[in-house]
Amino acid sequence: MIQTIVKRDGRCVLFDLDKIAAAIFKAAQALGGSDYEMARALAEQVAASLEEAGNQSPTVEEIQDAVERTLVDNGHARTAKEFILYRAQRTRVRDMNTRLMKTYEELTYKSADENDIKRENANIDGDTAMGTMLKYGSEGAKQFYHMFVLRPEHSKAHLAGDIHIHDLDFLTLTTTCCQIDIDKLFTGGFCTGHGFLREPNDISSYAALACIAIQSNQNDQHGGQSIPNFDYGMAKGVAKTYRKLYTRNLAKGLELFCGIDDAEGIAKAIRDGISDARGIGPVFADDNGYRDQEAELLHEYTDGETTEKLQQFARREAVKETRRATYQAMEAFVHNLNTMHSRAGAQIPFSSINYGTDTSPEGRLVVECVLRATEAGLGNGETPIFPIHIFKVKEGINFNDGEPNYDLFKLACRVSAKRLFPNFSFIDAPYNLQYYKPGHPETEIAYMGCRTRVIGNHYDPTREIVNGRGNLSFTSVNLPRIAIRAKGDVDWFFEELDRKIDLVIDQLMERFEIQAKKKVRNYPFLMGQGVWIDSDKLGPDDEVREVLKHGTLSMGFIGLAETLKALIGQHHGESEYAQNLGLEIIGHMRRRMDDATRATGFNYTLLATPAEGLSGRFVRMDRKQFGELEGITDHEFYTNSFHIPVYYNISASEKIRLEAPYHALTNAGHISYIELDGDPLKNLDAFEQVVRYMKECGIGYGSINHPVDRDPVCGYTGIIDEVCPRCGRREGEAVSVQKLRELGCWQESAANCGYCGDPFEESERSANPLSF
Amino acid sequence: MVQINQDGVEMVGKGVGFERIRRITGYLVGTLDRFNDAKRAEVGERVKHTVSREVKL
Repeated sequence: MIQTIVKRDGRCVLFDLDKIAAAIFKAAQALGGSDYEMARALAEQVAASLEEAGNQSPTVEEIQDAVERTLVDNGHARTAKEFILYRAQRTRVRDMNTRLMKTYEELTYKSADENDIKRENANIDGDTAMGTMLKYGSEGAKQFYHMFVLRPEHSKAHLAGDIHIHDLDFLTLTTTCCQIDIDKLFTGGFCTGHGFLREPNDISSYAALACIAIQSNQNDQHGGQSIPNFDYGMAKGVAKTYRKLYTRNLAKGLELFCGIDDAEGIAKAIRDGISDARGIGPVFADDNGYRDQEAELLHEYTDGETTEKLQQFARREAVKETRRATYQAMEAFVHNLNTMHSRAGAQIPFSSINYGTDTSPEGRLVVECVLRATEAGLGNGETPIFPIHIFKVKEGINFNDGEPNYDLFKLACRVSAKRLFPNFSFIDAPYNLQYYKPGHPETEIAYMGCRTRVIGNHYDPTREIVNGRGNLSFTSVNLPRIAIRAKGDVDWFFEELDRKIDLVIDQLMERFEIQAKKKVRNYPFLMGQGVWIDSDKLGPDDEVREVLKHGTLSMGFIGLAETLKALIGQHHGESEYAQNLGLEIIGHMRRRMDDATRATGFNYTLLATPAEGLSGRFVRMDRKQFGELEGITDHEFYTNSFHIPVYYNISASEKIRLEAPYHALTNAGHISYIELDGDPLKNLDAFEQVVRYMKECGIGYGSINHPVDRDPVCGYTGIIDEVCPRCGRREGEAVSVQKLRELGCWQESAANCGYCGDPFEESERSANPLSF
Repeated sequence: MVQINQDGVEMVGKGVGFERIRRITGYLVGTLDRFNDAKRAEVGERVKHTVSREVKL
């Protein structure tokens, strides 16, 4: 008689016949059975067969084997099959639990240096307490969704590396990103969820609130946050600042030149009087005749000559102070976005700002100042990492000499040549220009985060705008794997690609169903404060389903180069034939998204996936499965979306020409990079020519990479190979304090790192290049 | 931190590396340490693109 059994963890427990009977009964029940006595009889047979084999203390596995045998021997084949399935499912759950614990163990005891998971997203410091906490949550959530939420075919496809469901840890929680209309948000003030903020009244509060808006929204979504109309939005803050400063300086003048006691009160009364009667006030451009009106009223207090002196003083000082205030506000904005945290402190908000087309003097000042603040760098001259700057290039506004913002475009090139930002977006690319309506900034293309683009709107064609909209979720296809499996059969490749596309369309819709059931109160800022389009029409307990339909569901891809290599032996940088096939593949994927859009009424779009964590994941799995294939799986990464491989020698113009047509196809977002050698500051013409060529070729969004190194000891920023060109030290080497003193880059107060700021850079800064 | 070496000279910067800022997938990262393995490899393999006269517009 069996007395005990051995459990999986090695413990010995009392044998219980009813447990075996219950397991058999459950399997039978799944097939409609209801005879518990029969199950019990079968369980007795199982026990008997084990005893017969002389096993007095069987293991769980041995018992389960015996159950399977007994069921088959008694003609219960279907029940046996059900039991085997149940057993496999239990094994899977157990394995996943074990794997999760293993993952937790590595997160706990290994540093980011040793653990790739902790470096999955370079924007999160995996070595901090909150960074690790975030990872525990993220890894646990993923396992849970695989086991209990995802449809098995989607889970399987993801785990096998056929597709990649991005931001899976947020599957049941939120959506990707949003383009925040700060103009609308600030009007009347807003609530962060923790306190109400009044409508800001000067540029410094505008800049501070813009940071808070980005930070608050970052906690409601898992992707990046973008301001599509930074110059237009901030310009209002500059206007308010000027108005305030002009009045204050006029008052100072009145007090000084005319000996008036309540000068401030009188200056305000004059301003408000003109404002009520004529609807005008002091403006930065000084072009509305306000000063003439004001002069008449000032005659009551002083003569004509003094009036003119007073007004000139007020004007001069107000301009000077407004410029200073705006610069300081932009400096603080950039500093804040590089130091403030979101997500329990683990991550700096992923922020982007778009600007360059506002031709008002206030808007221009904002752009000039934010660029100059970026050029100057952070406290010790470091290159700011955030926000991502996107300069909107538009012919007629800032592209050619003589256009109102051409000086800003030149400045943008100079800053980018030093600091890697801004990137450049091109409103004139035909697929962007089709939405553009002059005088409507919300129709100017904007990009966010790495490259996301949301403007077309099949759900509501009257709202083809950027403001208040964003991506809901995206999933990428492992293109190279399909190509490897096709073994040169291009027709089969397209058939299999279609099957994967069907799967992705399905999975995105499934995820939308989860997102759509959320209530406004699940997104206190994004929806609660009306940031997302039309959410201001909803109450706190309303479902967000309808308003979410303004967002996009995107399918992405990586490794077009490896795909082509696998299919025809060449990538699109190597032959025109490969380029044509590449365009056919991506064109097909885009058509499938357009078809899905028409069929469902949702905005399905095609994304050139940024692939940070993914770039290594797919290729590792494929190398394991198919071996090391030359030009396909023999690198540590699959090539970014449709890019020409980073290791392939090609001229800048050729790369731009070849990649541009893919921008037109990837309506969910794209970016092209050019790697420049040497210091582009020494050849700004070449830098600008590259940007101009991007526009001519129809690139939508591009940027230029060049090395930006910095020696924190002497403060040198530029290219450093082995030896710092300024102080002559090698990495890790010490340099004498005397030498730093001679070089003029030593401050006693900064003895721990050597130096604060950069006198060389500062002395070379040219005066304000813009005229107003 | 200032240290005095064996010759009695004040030295600074021992153990301090250079910062190398690079762009990955669209955003900047202050140091290569934060990159995952695949992206580190990609940065290592990047080649420069020449700008020739033909780009002149």
